[in-house]
Amino acid sequence: MTVIEASSQALSLNQRIRALVFSQEGVLLLITIVAVAALSALSEPFRSVENFLNQGRLLTEIGLVALPMTYIIITGGIDLSVGSIFGLTAVILGYTWQNLGFPLELAIITSLIVATIAGFINGWFIVRVGVPPLIMTLATLALYRGLAEGIAQARSARGYPDWFYQLGQRDLLGVPTQLWILIVAAIIAAIILARTPFGRSLYAIGNNETAARFSGIPVGRNKMLIYAFSGLMAGLAGYIFVSRVSTTRSDMGTGLELDVIAAVVLGGTSIFGGTGSVPGTIIGVILIQLLKNGLSLTGVTGDSTIVVIGTVLILSILVNNFIQRRSGRMSS
Amino acid sequence: MGTPILELQNISKQFPGVKALDDVHFEMQAGEVHALLGENGAGKSTLIKIISGVYKPDTGVIKLEGQPVQFNNPHEAQAHGIATIYQELSLYPELTVAENIFMGHSPHRRIGPFNVVDWRKMFEQAREILDSLNIHDLDVRRKLSTLSVGNRQRVEIAKALSQNARILIMDEPTAALTEADVVRLFDIVRLLRERGVGIIYISHRLHEVFELADRVTVLRDGQYVDTKLVKDTTEDDLVSMMVGRTIDNLFPKLEAEIGKPVLEVRNLERKPMTRGVSFTLRAGEIVGVAGLVGSGRSELAQTIFGITPPDSGEILVDGQPVTINSPAAAMNHGIAYVPEDRGTQGLVRQMRLRENISMAILRTLTQQGFINRKAEAELAARSIKQLNIRAYSVDQVANKLSGGNQQKVVVGKWLASQPRILIMDEPTRGIDVGAKAEIHRLMSELAQQGLAILMISSELPEILGMSDRILVMREGKIVAEFDRSEATQERIAAAMMSAAAPNNANGVPQPAAMQEA
Repeated sequence: MTVIEASSQALSLNQRIRALVFSQEGVLLLITIVAVAALSALSEPFRSVENFLNQGRLLTEIGLVALPMTYIIITGGIDLSVGSIFGLTAVILGYTWQNLGFPLELAIITSLIVATIAGFINGWFIVRVGVPPLIMTLATLALYRGLAEGIAQARSARGYPDWFYQLGQRDLLGVPTQLWILIVAAIIAAIILARTPFGRSLYAIGNNETAARFSGIPVGRNKMLIYAFSGLMAGLAGYIFVSRVSTTRSDMGTGLELDVIAAVVLGGTSIFGGTGSVPGTIIGVILIQLLKNGLSLTGVTGDSTIVVIGTVLILSILVNNFIQRRSGRMSS
Repeated sequence: MGTPILELQNISKQFPGVKALDDVHFEMQAGEVHALLGENGAGKSTLIKIISGVYKPDTGVIKLEGQPVQFNNPHEAQAHGIATIYQELSLYPELTVAENIFMGHSPHRRIGPFNVVDWRKMFEQAREILDSLNIHDLDVRRKLSTLSVGNRQRVEIAKALSQNARILIMDEPTAALTEADVVRLFDIVRLLRERGVGIIYISHRLHEVFELADRVTVLRDGQYVDTKLVKDTTEDDLVSMMVGRTIDNLFPKLEAEIGKPVLEVRNLERKPMTRGVSFTLRAGEIVGVAGLVGSGRSELAQTIFGITPPDSGEILVDGQPVTINSPAAAMNHGIAYVPEDRGTQGLVRQMRLRENISMAILRTLTQQGFINRKAEAELAARSIKQLNIRAYSVDQVANKLSGGNQQKVVVGKWLASQPRILIMDEPTRGIDVGAKAEIHRLMSELAQQGLAILMISSELPEILGMSDRILVMREGKIVAEFDRSEATQERIAAAMMSAAAPNNANGVPQPAAMQEA
């Protein structure tokens, strides 16, 4: 083994470009660009600015929930209960406003607090009781959905005041209002993950939780935080969804967790924990949404669309594995 | 000598950024125990992975009994009679001994159109193989998870023989064994040698090489150094061949001024393994903690460091009582802990060197809450320099470093926290002699600068060589204390095992390293 004096020098520009091209995000971005180009060539309605903005409106809910999901999966956990928290938030919003007579502002805040608590309960049991995340959130997936159904009693709440629809149905500066929220949230989430000790701790926990704890990292506190954050974002997404579709029903968000997890994993976050990034997740969310939209606009039926998305997911995981092996993060 | 059973010529292997093996030769006769020596990172593991078909060499020839062969995967190597017993055993804990031995090639019989496992034959044949190894006390129907490590290893050897192995590679087989198990293992190795099996034996324990091996090949930095008859060489020769220089002193203990007490522990309790421990640690002092595996040494360290906070008792830092209920609290009081198991407790191996070294103090390397990457890289570079870590860059993934260098990274991480109390748990376990001497020198220098060091070790020479005072633990208590001047191996060993230790049939358990002196 030839030994070279180690240097504190950062990577050269050339190395940085190579690193980007060979990163999961780079590959995914390439796939996305190719997909957009191909779909644009095939479909006139697809390539309109209006369509892209509308797709931005539709993907916001999944995008918001995917941010904390990225954190959670990086630590080696999972949160299956986000779809149920989403539905529970919607129901509580409508119920407290319509049936309990809360002012709408207070109803919104109440529902978001309930969502955060629902997420925190997941985190508390996972950390303090040691329930595996998969089991805990599978249980609350049923529990929270059951609560939503019990409260809603198959009724739906409608007839919100006009200002309520600003968030879900209107634009701000020519862009769907909720898309601004996603953009800001994604930037903050990306910076926290990539640039702060908290973000670094998530990678350490996902790669080796024991070593993280032995290094003085508050492992339990950080894990509870991200599950609570997941609850809050699922709640926020639920609120935006109600504003977008003008009604609340207890089955809202059913299956949301699978779309979110698919986007996160497509974005290069390893389901085993330890790697992943917010930009990757956002590209994953966009790619899935544009594939769904573009394929349907080019006349591909819904069933075939799902097949294409599944194929893209598998391909991207193969590419990810290849890259991981190259970088030596996985043992051969 | 006849045609060698195994011959490797001009083997080279390059990994990205590393020349792991450079023109290496190796040759072994049937019925020979051939030791393979070298520091961590010298290329031993790469070489045995090439022999066992895990890696393909970039250049060079492998010959089995004179015939050139090529292995595309481990199965092909196995088919040629090459079996490997790795450090981490590759057995199935939930299956029986016999099933493990015949995993993948169990005897079959036909019932109508079905091919089914012939259980009776499998148990009989497993019994025969074990008998042929003079192992008569192992029930082939027992689940593996109920066996001791030594017995599991015997199963692994039996498994290799069931595949008609002619070449057996043993990678640090004694690392986790008790003395009684080591003796039995050596008996088996000698038995296999008589039967004409060629055995490649890798160990960091030189006395084992002299006890067991016929010849020894030494690698250094991926290059072939020499092959010698064991009877024509000495320990000092081998060490200087391995490190490329003579190590004048493995235990460079320097005079340090011993100051005020910095850590006082009074009646510390944490059930079940820490039971009323009291001691004092002074600035500039190295206190060694000896004891058998399971005597509660690591548990004590982890209680002081807040991983398992105490149930009762007092910890005083600089004479002030402190509450330590988490590692973060311990760090705030200037305590650092280099844990016993660097793979699972010390390092995040998938992460970069820079990220590992900064891990414990990352919050101090921030500007407005953001990680200051420049400061982080500089810290890592300073550590690399101070500890002489052999790495290509601060961005290297820790996994790619050799064991000794990984250990230095863990030490670097904790020195970065600028502790005043450093607890080191087995600081040199499983690392090569060169890195060992470097870590010992560093400890001495740190003590000279006024650091208080509590060193847990299972190696009595290390305890004797480095400590100012020695505490002996047994069953969660401190049972004896010796000054440096009055300590001897015999006295410490006696205190470690004395009256309370049951004299069972397998003999008194002994610290693995005692025989190394």
